[in-house]
Amino acid sequence: MRLLPKQENAILASPMVLFLLVLLGFPVVLSIIYGFSEASFESLMSPKFIGLENFRLVLQDSSFWDAGWFSLRFGVITALLECVLGLFLAVYLAPLIRKHGWMVAVLIIPMIVAPAMIGLMYRLVLHEFAGPIPYYFYEWFGWSPSFLSTGMVFQTIVVAETLQWTPFAFLLFLTAYQAIPNDIREAASVDGTRPWRMFWKIEFPQMLPTLFVAGFIRFIDGFRVFDNIYTLVGAGPGGSTTSMSIYIYETFLRRGEIGKAMAAAILLFIVAFAILAMGQRLMRRAQ
Amino acid sequence: MMLSRKFLCSAALAALLTGSAQAEVTVLGWPGGPEEEALRAVTEIYNAKADVAEDDKVELLFTSRDGFFDKLQVDLAAGSTAFDANLIATYSIGRYAPFLEPITLSDEAETVFGDTVLSTMQYDGAQYGVPTDLSLHFLYFRKDLIDALMANDDAKALYGDISEKYLGERLEPKNPEEWSWQDFAANALYFSRSVNPDSPTRYGTVLQMKNLLFNMMVFHSLPRSYGANWMDADGNITVDSEAYRTALEMAKMLFDAGATPADSTSYEYAEANAAYSAGQVAAMVQWNAAASDLISAQPETVTQAPPTGPEGRFTHIHGLGLGLNAAAENKDGAKAFLKWLSTEEAALAYARAGGAPGLATNTAQKLADERPDLVQVGDYASNYGFVMNGGTSKNALSIYEAQAKEFTGYWAGTQSLDEAMSNITASMTELLK
Amino acid sequence: MKLHQILRWIVFVIAALVMNFPVLATFITALKSPAEISRNPSLAIQSPTLENFMTVLTVSDRLNVYHYLWNSLSAALIGSILPIIVAFPIAWAMARRGYGRNILFPLIVNLRALPLVIFAVPLYLMFSVVNLLDTQIGLGLVLAIVNLPLALMLLVNAVSEIPIELEEAARMDGARLPRLIGRIVLPLCRPAFITTFVFGFITAWNEFLFGLILTTQNAVPMTVGASFFFATSGGGVQWGVAAAVMIVAALPPLLLGLIMYRKITGSMVSGAVKG
Repeated sequence: MRLLPKQENAILASPMVLFLLVLLGFPVVLSIIYGFSEASFESLMSPKFIGLENFRLVLQDSSFWDAGWFSLRFGVITALLECVLGLFLAVYLAPLIRKHGWMVAVLIIPMIVAPAMIGLMYRLVLHEFAGPIPYYFYEWFGWSPSFLSTGMVFQTIVVAETLQWTPFAFLLFLTAYQAIPNDIREAASVDGTRPWRMFWKIEFPQMLPTLFVAGFIRFIDGFRVFDNIYTLVGAGPGGSTTSMSIYIYETFLRRGEIGKAMAAAILLFIVAFAILAMGQRLMRRAQ
Repeated sequence: MMLSRKFLCSAALAALLTGSAQAEVTVLGWPGGPEEEALRAVTEIYNAKADVAEDDKVELLFTSRDGFFDKLQVDLAAGSTAFDANLIATYSIGRYAPFLEPITLSDEAETVFGDTVLSTMQYDGAQYGVPTDLSLHFLYFRKDLIDALMANDDAKALYGDISEKYLGERLEPKNPEEWSWQDFAANALYFSRSVNPDSPTRYGTVLQMKNLLFNMMVFHSLPRSYGANWMDADGNITVDSEAYRTALEMAKMLFDAGATPADSTSYEYAEANAAYSAGQVAAMVQWNAAASDLISAQPETVTQAPPTGPEGRFTHIHGLGLGLNAAAENKDGAKAFLKWLSTEEAALAYARAGGAPGLATNTAQKLADERPDLVQVGDYASNYGFVMNGGTSKNALSIYEAQAKEFTGYWAGTQSLDEAMSNITASMTELLK
Repeated sequence: MKLHQILRWIVFVIAALVMNFPVLATFITALKSPAEISRNPSLAIQSPTLENFMTVLTVSDRLNVYHYLWNSLSAALIGSILPIIVAFPIAWAMARRGYGRNILFPLIVNLRALPLVIFAVPLYLMFSVVNLLDTQIGLGLVLAIVNLPLALMLLVNAVSEIPIELEEAARMDGARLPRLIGRIVLPLCRPAFITTFVFGFITAWNEFLFGLILTTQNAVPMTVGASFFFATSGGGVQWGVAAAVMIVAALPPLLLGLIMYRKITGSMVSGAVKG
């Protein structure tokens, strides 16, 4: 008996769909109910339906928009920096790495350490009196920047995030770079193509899909950043380092406004879904 | 294949582990630090008693201090039976009260702790917990530096010039026991290199200005001594007051003048202590819990009640204690243990094991030789201790959080004082209605 | 040529030092005594000590690092293998037939953008009914949800990079779908499985919030257990112990990375040669 492609697809999809339904079905339904109710920790079992009130509250909350803007900036900047640095390291060091595989291990150490721990460590490393970085600044220049002061904190967390996650982009690019069939390169070098030109004309286009994937994953991860910022500086003075995740987390657990937190999450999900679905369609049209 | 074996392995292990943890009365304590050691010590005494039934023996549970209250919130709201009694704090009783049950203390409790301390564990007129530890603030200062300042006439003149320039008033260096907040500010400026390049320390003080609710507790002794309160007797929100404005401006002035590190907007307990321990800070207001660390790092340190203001001398106080989980499986056993904890026998044992209970003067005197610091804590608590109107309300935690956000925003310069005041008035009106 | 080689080494050394600086500083801090940490912020250790590591590695009646490591290991294995198993079949359908490209794919990928902690309360309620609270399996299942979006993205990408001619050739030979996927696609995806597994394992190993909320005693993972260690003075952070815990906690995923990176790079090269 031959199955129709449709039936085959359904069978192929079933493990994941079942897994999600069993584990997330109930939480998602309950959370959506909370999103439309006056729900706090006291009224978990008896949420009162209030329609779109939570959504109105969220949309009128300037902190929500600030958090969205912060996350967007943070996500775009860190994703760009990580991809550029990661691509450079992968391509430039590839000839060395082919001979010395251990170099990969050295370069991916940062992303193995828990981001929450990295945040905590930076609290020590950047401390004016207990941290080595300000210490050496004072030793050598008699002065040190205040890395976590209002004017600098954004740059500092961008650098911290970039240093930790460039290895992620690096690893994806390295695998993509090594997967480029060698005969393509050989053919080009027979033609006398110079290395710089070879990269732009031949290697770079081959790595383009990976560049999209890496940039996209890093953007999402930068957008939803939580642990390292939260352990390093919290929500920031006046809420200036509040990312979307921090906003939802604080609304949810710290202020106990479950309905509002859910409404914010639903909005975030809808917007992200629309953007992604549209991006998919555009990509296909372009192809 | 491999996965299913993993599943079986961990299932078997999980079953084994749960099987061994048959708790009779499980108590969730404040993890780490002297509170844990003290609770362990008194629990041992309790469990050794002949009249405590085998089923009512106490087993202790300690989780993570990071996110402790977040987890507790979820546990309680979901009706967890993992513990029968749990930690509560003055500022969070209101939030957790719906999931707790009031308890009865022993008859001695009032004489042992005194009314002020017992009231830190009350909400809506009911006793929700037995007090275990008391937290308040000390002024920590370096006696060596202040003595040197007072002995030098040139330094005194400079001190006068600086205070005149920054505070609009010529001040003389004084003994910290007599300090007003103006003296505190003048001292902070004098000992800062940005103001006085010859200062022996880099900063005169260290303010904890991170957007964190606990920092608001450290801060609000200052506005209180200028007469601040959260609301008046009629329930009107009075946060937008001369007192709060004066205090906020003073902190901002010190921050802008460089009397506290420029990173202060990311400082909390650990950072502030590290700065002070490095010997680069002349005086600061900090929790009493830091005393042993700070004194061992800077032996010239002396502790004192926080400075005074036009309306008197004040220190924030709050208590930690243990309350009864409404979903507890062994309520009677838990009640018996909590009742015993409020006896003099238990309180003294708790103090001897390193805890910091708030004891009435007569009780504290019995330990004067072993724990002189408890006499000081008890004295400050009863003479200077305060709780803002609404400080034990259901939303007290959220109020501290809103203040942390608005006030740090003003200090860091992301909003004006007027904006901060109108924002906080709006949030507090919502939270206290 | 020679000059380029030297330049490459210089770039590598600088990149390694700068990116690993926090880790290096952590390691150095872990070797200092508490007194030295508050006195000497420099990177030179005056009197190295293993005291902090001893504190971490000693089992006391409350703290048991081996227990936390085991919990993390079992939960992280479930949380990193399960997503690959459930996502691989549908990844093929998505990559080759565009199945679910409009709804299902964006739906799941978007889970990564959400702070999943918003599901903490319903999951808690659900787990308490089915007795999964405070178990490694329960935590592992939640970590599998966390990892699912990344697994799906990487696997869809991997399948679409396999030359379609290989599949077509097999079809010509009369291979049916299960055989096609099992014999042709699956082996070619091995590098992607390894990458996905390594990334997933690291993410699962480092997760904190669910570990905090869904466990109390029996299944406490390393990240949460770590914070048991350093909050042991009056509310401050014991930096030395914290640093030592971080080093110990990072070792298992580091070892995994070391073992696996050879496979990643190795199989990539051989895959390229075949292609």
